[in-house]
Amino acid sequence: MRRLIIAILAALPFVMMLGAIPFVNRIHPIILGLPFFHFWLFLGMIIVPICTYIIYRLQKSEGSIE
Amino acid sequence: MMQGNLTALLVTSFIVLTVVLIGFIAGRDKSSRSSVEEWSVGGRKFGPLLVWLLVGADLYTAYTFLGLTSTAYTGGSLAFFAIPYTIIAFFISYFYLPKLWKVSKEFKFTTLADYAKGRFDSKFLSLLIAIVGVLMLIPYIDLQLAGIQDTLRVAGTGYINIQVVVIISFLLVALYTFFSGIKGPTYTAIIKDILIWVIMLFLVVSIPMIHFGGWGSMINKIVVESPELLTIPTTGPKGIPWFLTASLVSGLALFMWAHGATGVLTAKNADTLRKNAIYLPLYNIVLILVVFLGFAAFHVLPEGSDPRFALLNLIQVSYGGVVQGLAYATIALASLIPCSIMAIGASNLFANNIYRDFINPKVAPAKLTLITRSMVFVVIGLALIFGMLFPTALVSLQLLGVSGMVQIFPAIVFSLFWRKQTKQATIIGLIVGLVVTFTVSGTGMTFGIYEGFWGLLANVLVLVLLNPLFVKKINRQSNPIMAQLFTQQDN
Repeated sequence: MRRLIIAILAALPFVMMLGAIPFVNRIHPIILGLPFFHFWLFLGMIIVPICTYIIYRLQKSEGSIE
Repeated sequence: MMQGNLTALLVTSFIVLTVVLIGFIAGRDKSSRSSVEEWSVGGRKFGPLLVWLLVGADLYTAYTFLGLTSTAYTGGSLAFFAIPYTIIAFFISYFYLPKLWKVSKEFKFTTLADYAKGRFDSKFLSLLIAIVGVLMLIPYIDLQLAGIQDTLRVAGTGYINIQVVVIISFLLVALYTFFSGIKGPTYTAIIKDILIWVIMLFLVVSIPMIHFGGWGSMINKIVVESPELLTIPTTGPKGIPWFLTASLVSGLALFMWAHGATGVLTAKNADTLRKNAIYLPLYNIVLILVVFLGFAAFHVLPEGSDPRFALLNLIQVSYGGVVQGLAYATIALASLIPCSIMAIGASNLFANNIYRDFINPKVAPAKLTLITRSMVFVVIGLALIFGMLFPTALVSLQLLGVSGMVQIFPAIVFSLFWRKQTKQATIIGLIVGLVVTFTVSGTGMTFGIYEGFWGLLANVLVLVLLNPLFVKKINRQSNPIMAQLFTQQDN
């Protein structure tokens, strides 16, 4: 289970920052003053470190890193 | 070129000279130059904050700010490839940098070429990596040189001889790097970072207010009058495939740069690097907003302005002398401080992996330290000479820097995880990768894909296909580095 979560979290950044790009390449809706494409990049900047952080906590708790 | 601004010039000079002074003070303790390990990677004692500052200083250079705003000015949202690129770079670094750091700490490696030499028992591979590293880094130092030159041209035209001041400032940087080693750029990076955050955020807030009445109205104006800037073009030579491959390849290449690796090896433990992988993306908050200033310049500056000066001219027409000076100083520091780290990385490669391994293997440690430190003058001197004599010849090398650097990724990163990777297949792959990259770029047959991607594809294919031919030889072979990488299960 833990392995699966780590695998999903490890794939998510690539999906968001590469795979999704052709689909988010648009101006509207404008969110938080940013055109949608740039809002998406901004979102990635927040979500990817959260993924990294969760992986870090999971690996710590299973003791695979010291 | 418009007449410069004397107040701006004085403010810039004052800040830059203060920082250079701090660069010298950083190394007042003699131990900072007592060995190659102390001088180049600070004795591996830096905690998360210092590593964050140092890697940030590596990455967010004058070229980042000037280059991306000018790309935004001409190429619209293609410039934003820098965001996925850095996010991916830090994310994948979480998985391999701690491993690389551990083995480097254990065996006292100070360069990636050191690691390759140990991992594959191959001085030739190490030489190849050192040559690629130095060759790609000198044009990169020249980009920084061009950054400070452009800044001085905007600030000081009519007051100073730009060439002379550029030479003096680079010699000062070489001197403090020679003297203080990695501590110089690390401590000065603190000031540079504070300035970058304060000044860039100030610009991002005030420029839209001055010229458009606010951020929202600026975005509205861009949406209405130049919507083509706000998405990746779907026609033309560079589109989505370019954006994706440029992001991926640059992300893989980031820590392959000699200066990137130097920053990483200063860490005091593997956990420092894991934490940095989490926090470093925060740096992009500034970057993403600064790129929009390229769009602002598009609407503010008169048609036909030189895109290279987009950000600098925008600052020039928006502010009085003091703010101009602070902004120019920030950009000047963002060019000088990374230069120092780059010079350390290149000197280290040259002294350890070329001089010691091939020219004088019996060199005493004290002499090697002195030679490594002295190489700073050679590296910066070469960069100055090339930059001033052949500015156009450098452009193609600069464009290919990332594509060239990424070719060592299989040698450095795959080999941390793949026990049966052979040196023969790795070397052939690396050479094929370089040849393909240069051919694709030379002939222009990119098919809308980033050059380095083709090279890396060929590189990895050759490695995977040829590896079984050599694998028999190494099946039973091991060495202390492989033993540490592959037998320890606790990682």
